[in-house]
Amino acid sequence: MNMLREQVRADLLAFSRRPETLFFTVFLPVIFLVLFEAIFGGQLVTLSDGTKVEQSTLQVPAFMTMGIISASFVALAITVVNRRETGTFKRVRGTPAPAWILIAGQVVTSLVIAFLMVLVMLVLGRLAYGVHVDAAHLPWLIGGVMLGAAAFSCLGMMLAAITPSTEAAPPLANVVVLPLYFISGVFVPVDSLPTWLGNIASVLPVAPLVTVLTWPYVATTDTPWRSLGLVVVWGVIGLIIASWRFRWTPRRG
Amino acid sequence: MTPAISVTGLVKRYGDRNVVDGLDLEVHAGEVLAFLGRNGAGKTTTTEILEGYRERDGGEVLVLGQDPATAGADWRAKLGIVLQESRPLGALTVRETLRLYAAYFPHPRGVDEVIALVGLEEQAAQRAGRLSGGQQRRLDVGVALIGNPELVFLDEPTTGFDPDARRQFWDVISGLRDLGTTVFLTTHYMDEAQVLADRVAVMRDGKVAALGTPAELQAMRGDVEIRFVLPAGLALDALPTLSKPPLLTGGEVRIETTAPTPDLAKLCSWAEGRGLELEGLTVERPTLEDVFLAIAGDHAEAAS
Repeated sequence: MNMLREQVRADLLAFSRRPETLFFTVFLPVIFLVLFEAIFGGQLVTLSDGTKVEQSTLQVPAFMTMGIISASFVALAITVVNRRETGTFKRVRGTPAPAWILIAGQVVTSLVIAFLMVLVMLVLGRLAYGVHVDAAHLPWLIGGVMLGAAAFSCLGMMLAAITPSTEAAPPLANVVVLPLYFISGVFVPVDSLPTWLGNIASVLPVAPLVTVLTWPYVATTDTPWRSLGLVVVWGVIGLIIASWRFRWTPRRG
Repeated sequence: MTPAISVTGLVKRYGDRNVVDGLDLEVHAGEVLAFLGRNGAGKTTTTEILEGYRERDGGEVLVLGQDPATAGADWRAKLGIVLQESRPLGALTVRETLRLYAAYFPHPRGVDEVIALVGLEEQAAQRAGRLSGGQQRRLDVGVALIGNPELVFLDEPTTGFDPDARRQFWDVISGLRDLGTTVFLTTHYMDEAQVLADRVAVMRDGKVAALGTPAELQAMRGDVEIRFVLPAGLALDALPTLSKPPLLTGGEVRIETTAPTPDLAKLCSWAEGRGLELEGLTVERPTLEDVFLAIAGDHAEAAS
């Protein structure tokens, strides 16, 4: 336990001292939320069951999703590739530390950052935009954030496993997530997308997580168990591919 | 005393080429062994097999009494490893880095003790990324020492150092010997081996081609070289008969001899008898570098 605590402490310290990851991971989703609220917040959106809600209500969980993915998928993949290519992982494999401690350090770090961001947006949404979560729905929101962060951590490990070099990691991670943000209801409401695009997005991992986190805010439909299940399935797929392709030593040489 | 490392008939194949081809080596507990060889001689491959990073294709290997291929965490707790290419995490300070690695080991040394051992007291609060190359490498060694190891592997630790940084690094390694730590030092610098090593092993064609103290290795090539400028107006056949035929290059006479005393005596009495001065007379033993060049072969093989 002492070892895990020291690992998480070191990983969080290292994370917090890299200005570029700090900006892209933590600040950018919050800045996006503030900008999108200022621009589109007042517009009315019609949900699939006919209810009308303000765009501001949907944007809070949408950018929470982006925050979770930034921390657990993008930042995790970039860090893991970097640690592998610089020989840090190889070096730790030469100590008595068990291999899982390195993965656990990264995943716990991502979870902590994801939770902090969700907390910031939860408070910001409540205070600045009057977006309210029913106390009865809070456990679902917390569970959704945890499972979402865990699933995207597994997908982040998968991406790291198939990324060849440190230089390739940031562009690859962004090429994967940016289009998904557009078609999954993060940047653009799903109802303004062509049906076929919405259908594709609905089976990929981002849209289901948006649905899961939106439900506590607008509980007009049934509990989205199916979406939660999809998120978990994607996590398992990520985990399987990650453990099949993962390596501790640099790709070169 | 049981040896720290004992290797018999080690074989490692890449494709159909034996990179390590029947290597035998014993490293005594408490000694500093320098492991020399040209690039591509199989040094790093051998080292990584001893460290447990690579699997072997044949032979017996015991490191601290255990087979690296199957040894577990209790065995790794007794090792300190400095890899050829690794940099500490740039965002952590020296102290934070050592504190993290201390948590990996069951009986670590104190962080401050290690900082003093590698001479980074003034840099303790600096981020690793802002240290000079030599200081980063010393932090690497600190990380290898934090677990209080019995055996330390250093793979080409001073490559790319300026002379000052190398001397500081050598002091750290000498300090390790005084602590009774066994050191397996891979290097291609002869002066490093000469200063630090109790014994030197030279690897060539996947085997240990020579093994001994630096003095023993030097003695293996017993030739002493006598040089002087051929006095004006004389031909080579004017010289007295010596144990080896003299060679003439650019006006300079060179004699490689195993009997320097009688040869010198003949030369000197011959010159004195004719009232000649032997300009530029030198008598030199081969350096460890010369010995290494002779043993390790003339050209590099394929890279490892």
